[in-house]
Amino acid sequence: MKSSILRAGVVALACALGLSACGGGSGDLNLTGYVYNVTKDGLVLQNNGGDDTAVTSPYTAFQFGNRLSTDDSFNITVKSVPSNVASVSDCVVANGKAHANYYTIGQISVTCKIRQRALKVNVNNLTTSGLVIVNGADRHDVPAGTTAVQMAGVNEDGPYGVTVLTQPTGQTCTVSGGGNGNGSGNMGATEDTTVTVTCA
Amino acid sequence: MKFSLARTALALAATLTLASCGGGGGGKATYPIKVNVKNVLYPGLVLSTNGMDVPVNPPATAGADVNFSFPNEIEYGQVYNVLPKGGDLSSSPVKYGTQALHQTCLPNTNYPDNLPHTATAGQLATIQVNYVCALNAYPLAGTVKGLTGTGLQLANGSSASVTVTPVTDSTTSKPTGADTTFSLGKVYWNQTYGVTVLTQPAGQTCSVTAGGDNGKGAGTMQDTNTTSSLTDTTGVTNIVVTCVNNASS
Repeated sequence: MKSSILRAGVVALACALGLSACGGGSGDLNLTGYVYNVTKDGLVLQNNGGDDTAVTSPYTAFQFGNRLSTDDSFNITVKSVPSNVASVSDCVVANGKAHANYYTIGQISVTCKIRQRALKVNVNNLTTSGLVIVNGADRHDVPAGTTAVQMAGVNEDGPYGVTVLTQPTGQTCTVSGGGNGNGSGNMGATEDTTVTVTCA
Repeated sequence: MKFSLARTALALAATLTLASCGGGGGGKATYPIKVNVKNVLYPGLVLSTNGMDVPVNPPATAGADVNFSFPNEIEYGQVYNVLPKGGDLSSSPVKYGTQALHQTCLPNTNYPDNLPHTATAGQLATIQVNYVCALNAYPLAGTVKGLTGTGLQLANGSSASVTVTPVTDSTTSKPTGADTTFSLGKVYWNQTYGVTVLTQPAGQTCSVTAGGDNGKGAGTMQDTNTTSSLTDTTGVTNIVVTCVNNASS
């Protein structure tokens, strides 16, 4: 507490004397934050319209190159987003605008929304009841006679893997299609995906 | 900062004490122990302190908080320690006590609800204890047999994926094909899972050959904690993926 007051005083004095370092750049506060839902290169953040900082693997945090001094104002904005995020407005900065101090620089995060792609399952020759298919936690009961099931959306570039949880009465269903032919794959960047369940 | 706050609270407490003396009883001030519990979805939780037990049931309106006070107030200077019955959150491993079905309820750590679950009556002007419950999640894991090629990726639907590398001999650095384990994170209670081969390794074909409810790597996660301690939760660890070499052409 005391030291920060002292530091603020010193900085103010330095500014009054016309010394440098008032605009940020060589202070002692790192401008950092956490990043959520980023899976690939492409997210670039700016502070006060400059100091471009790319978020790189493992895509969990960022740190601007220029350090701040206490009471410098910062305003973090999104300059560009990864290809699997639809628009700049889909990456939201939380607590990104404030005056720098030990509290405010510890509260910043950026959360992106990855574009969702449709995952559809075509069902062939299902004549009895009881079939349950899953894509991980996404569970669907499939009644007799069903020809198509719309699964929950899947993150672009993210994995999927459709399997049969429960076989229907008296029939055996197998999964084919998808990126690797067995109902699994990585969701493509341009097209929606169809997996096939064939019952016999 | 903290000291001055405590001093203010003490002053306030002293005022309250004086006020309560007006009745002529001359007894010590007493304090109700108020409790807030968020996200109670299932019955079973019993919160205890100072010899009192209160069962905490899900609210009538789904999503609402549960608020109650323990039946007896405690006197100034008495220590309260609100815990799931039989639990000990400072032990190692932690004893979680009598918990809600499928959930684990712990003192709320989110500001500004992060008030102490144990303290002395009179330290703060009022006693407020806050708990929050979370759905239990259990590990999903298994074994890969015969893996010698690199590049194998396994997935649990769109929920998680993992790259599995073959075991290599420490001297020759050649893959041995020995069993190796994999983890696909945790799955919430009652959620489904289905392990699939996302990417085949070089020169081999792998398939899910055993495990899960259906023997093919899929199922619904059930409670697997056998005592009130979540440290002994096993989850589903019996998924088996078997790899065979591709026929050389």
